[in-house]
Amino acid sequence: MLLAKNRLLELLEHLSTQARVYVPARLEVASLAGESTDSGTLSHFVQYAAGVQPDFELVNTTLPPKDMLFPQTQKMYRYGFDTDGVPYIDPIHDADEVVVFGLRSCDMASIDCMDQVFLTKGYEDEFYAPRRQKLLCVALACGQAAESCFCDSMGIDPNVAANADIQLVAGDEAFSLSAQTEKGQAALSQWQAFLSAGELPVAPAPTSCSLKVEANGLKDKLEQMYEHPLWEQISKKCLTCGTCTFVCPTCHCFDISQSNRMQMGERFRSWDSCMFFDYTEMAGHHNPRAAKMPRVRQRFMHKLCFFEERYGCSLCVGCGRCVAQCPVALDITVLIDQIGAAPLDEKQDVEGAVHAG
Amino acid sequence: MSDSQSIQASLRSRAAELLASDQVAELIGWGAGRFPDQTTPLFITQADQAEGLVYSEYCQNTLGKYAITELSELVADQGKLAICVRGCESRGINRMLKDNQIERDRLYLLGIPCSGMKNRQSGELLSKCMNCSHKNPVIYDELLGETVAEGEPDRFGAVCALEECDRASREQYFDAAFDRCIRCYACREVCPVCTCRECFVDQHEVGWQGKQGNTTENRFYSLTRAFHISDRCVECGECERACPMGLPLMVLNRKLVKDLDDLFQAGEAGLDAVAVNSLGTYDVADVEEFM
Amino acid sequence: MPVEIEHGCARATEQLVPIACKISSISEETSDVKAFRVQTLEGEKPFDCEPGQTAMLSVIPYGECMFCVSAQGEDYVEFTIKKVGYVTTQLHDLSVGDVVGLRGPYGNWFPADGLRGKDLLFVGGGIGLAPLRSLLTYVLAHRSDYGRVDLVYSGSTIDDLVFLSDIQGAWTEYPDTHMHVSVYKECKGWDGEVSFTAPFLEKLAFSPEGRIAILCGGPSLFRTCLESLEKMGFPPEDIITTLEMKMKCGIGKCGRCNVGSLYICLDGPVFTMAELADLPWSAD
Repeated sequence: MLLAKNRLLELLEHLSTQARVYVPARLEVASLAGESTDSGTLSHFVQYAAGVQPDFELVNTTLPPKDMLFPQTQKMYRYGFDTDGVPYIDPIHDADEVVVFGLRSCDMASIDCMDQVFLTKGYEDEFYAPRRQKLLCVALACGQAAESCFCDSMGIDPNVAANADIQLVAGDEAFSLSAQTEKGQAALSQWQAFLSAGELPVAPAPTSCSLKVEANGLKDKLEQMYEHPLWEQISKKCLTCGTCTFVCPTCHCFDISQSNRMQMGERFRSWDSCMFFDYTEMAGHHNPRAAKMPRVRQRFMHKLCFFEERYGCSLCVGCGRCVAQCPVALDITVLIDQIGAAPLDEKQDVEGAVHAG
Repeated sequence: MSDSQSIQASLRSRAAELLASDQVAELIGWGAGRFPDQTTPLFITQADQAEGLVYSEYCQNTLGKYAITELSELVADQGKLAICVRGCESRGINRMLKDNQIERDRLYLLGIPCSGMKNRQSGELLSKCMNCSHKNPVIYDELLGETVAEGEPDRFGAVCALEECDRASREQYFDAAFDRCIRCYACREVCPVCTCRECFVDQHEVGWQGKQGNTTENRFYSLTRAFHISDRCVECGECERACPMGLPLMVLNRKLVKDLDDLFQAGEAGLDAVAVNSLGTYDVADVEEFM
Repeated sequence: MPVEIEHGCARATEQLVPIACKISSISEETSDVKAFRVQTLEGEKPFDCEPGQTAMLSVIPYGECMFCVSAQGEDYVEFTIKKVGYVTTQLHDLSVGDVVGLRGPYGNWFPADGLRGKDLLFVGGGIGLAPLRSLLTYVLAHRSDYGRVDLVYSGSTIDDLVFLSDIQGAWTEYPDTHMHVSVYKECKGWDGEVSFTAPFLEKLAFSPEGRIAILCGGPSLFRTCLESLEKMGFPPEDIITTLEMKMKCGIGKCGRCNVGSLYICLDGPVFTMAELADLPWSAD
């Protein structure tokens, strides 16, 4: 099936009458008085509405698409006492139909990772599951890779997003569309008015990443490297800010806290980061990961080793967002190289190393 | 040989000498990143690692803040900590000395005159370097290279222009910025003045700062931080450079610097390690608009 | 046959949203430890749970904390809580009848069935007796199913010993059940043993033969007693413990109690030392 590029906005317009539609778009950074910053182009997935200019050339959006499923702040329930003094706890379930248009293969793979976390191991998360059920994923094959992209080293094909409901490929004049799931098939049949039969006259050349890492054997190697001096070395420059975590499409850790008005309030969950000191700080101030090194180690071990041990897939999808955004260029691809090159016979119990839970 | 190449050469040789002679135990500079012209903070402890040091016009990281963590881990009698200091780093070092965060006699400061750093992608001067008022370090133990001429920076140009805008457009402008904030706290972590043992953000029991990511909480965070550092901000601009979401943090900071200058003739922070903070002192002649 | 412990056996009735409950009784164990019995607003037991399981208790509107269920009855679950942080301070200010939020039960449990026929050695310090209490009371309630029972328990002073009335009273009345209590420093009102836990444990010299040790306490007690147990010849698969980590969700999603491939809230908190040896974990 084909969607002519000049009918795209019509389709988005139509879809947005039935669902919330998200598209990649630039984040306009206003300059009021000629002041400037060095952030470069900022972009995110934004709800389509009149005036929003989708930009399908963006590789990759600065912010990942995870907030559609896992918002930075999600209210879970309201509590308090009614006028008779009777306590109430009212859950807030607010999942809407959502179409996300223009996910990349890495983004789709990150949703697969989050599905593992939120939908398996005995509990289907009651706030994630309904959002996931109501999400239609429309992926777009990458026409080019960014400098920091390395998804194909992580076993992901930038040309086809496995598990997306619909796969788009951009040609010169049109997108080709193919349904990859029943949900995608059903959607395509509803979009018929905007589509035409046929194939792209010239199939675009497949994209591959110029940045390569060797990810095979990473988990096995890391299983023997928990106490390796490499962690002390690489963590020195880390600021323990949350940039990598928050721009990561797979980082899913959250905090639970509340906002109150007298005896009433809302409890919500919000993105959290294992880079933060207070993440593991317990009552009485005991903290198993008080120092910088164990926090840095936890993040990378979780990404590249622990998650795979638990769920069978890597928690790094090679999108390169952290590579591009880390303020001190603590680059996961450099780390992967260093892990590969690290000798295992080196004395592992570094003096003064903090053991952490 | 360009200036930066010759500085790189002397940096490497001095680093090797200092480390080999055990005068310093560790040195913080810059090394090469993965991509063309990319640099990254580098920590070395052996003379043979000095060849990894890089000095180019793309050394965008301001290194001063690392002095705190590295000194806390360095055993005092094993040698000093050497840090490369340009104008921006040196003023941060002064500020941290004044705030009793670090000890001067444990530091060896390799001064580097700097004409400004560039963004490796655009090739343009970093915005934090555009209105630099101290290209030469204001404190150092030795200087690598010749001092450079100081420019005529327009530190408050953007602030004055913003002050001319009407309130509604300023509010819209800043709210759009705060709306983008993802509360990664990179600005705080990188700031040589943000040295509180426990940041107000992390005082959950008091509950100053909610964990919600929304414009209100983000605004509260950025404004509180700006006020808290106002009389100590050394205008290095590293907060704004580190910000992944392009928040115009230096306009905020410089607005407060300018106000303090107008009210208390505060001057520039971090020019030495003894000057009193304008908000940390009281003079009977101080302006008291609200009394 | 080593004792088998189940892991990841989730069965909480509530995931993240608590139910409103009320405090049905409060007993003061020490100057900073209180035991709270909690039941639904209708006066019923909020949920059934196994010894060693945990639950998230919240003080509306202050916040939530994960606690081990220290005991349960027909119409209540009980939490024994030391005042150490923000939420526990709020909890200590509550009175009988006050409303709390409760969700759970979370995590796995002590292998009460697998322990049948064995001699049991409970080792704990201070508030660390709270998680052990759930298993101990279960064992005592099914006394004839188990062999000899010993409790080696210590606190800094007499004021740090919880459940002292049980230790000196009810629990001693069961057959072949032996209480060994020490304090770390001489204090008023104490004429018993003065010793740290580990040397006390070694002095009592328990044979590992047919005996399982169940250990719970702070990092230093944990480390030293573990060494002592190993010295006495207990193999790691015969030492059971329950871990503490910061927890927020209880259902293995929020990430902070992650240790290696496991989440302590869901896969733990109960492990044998043999299982922990395979994890990137240490008592610190």
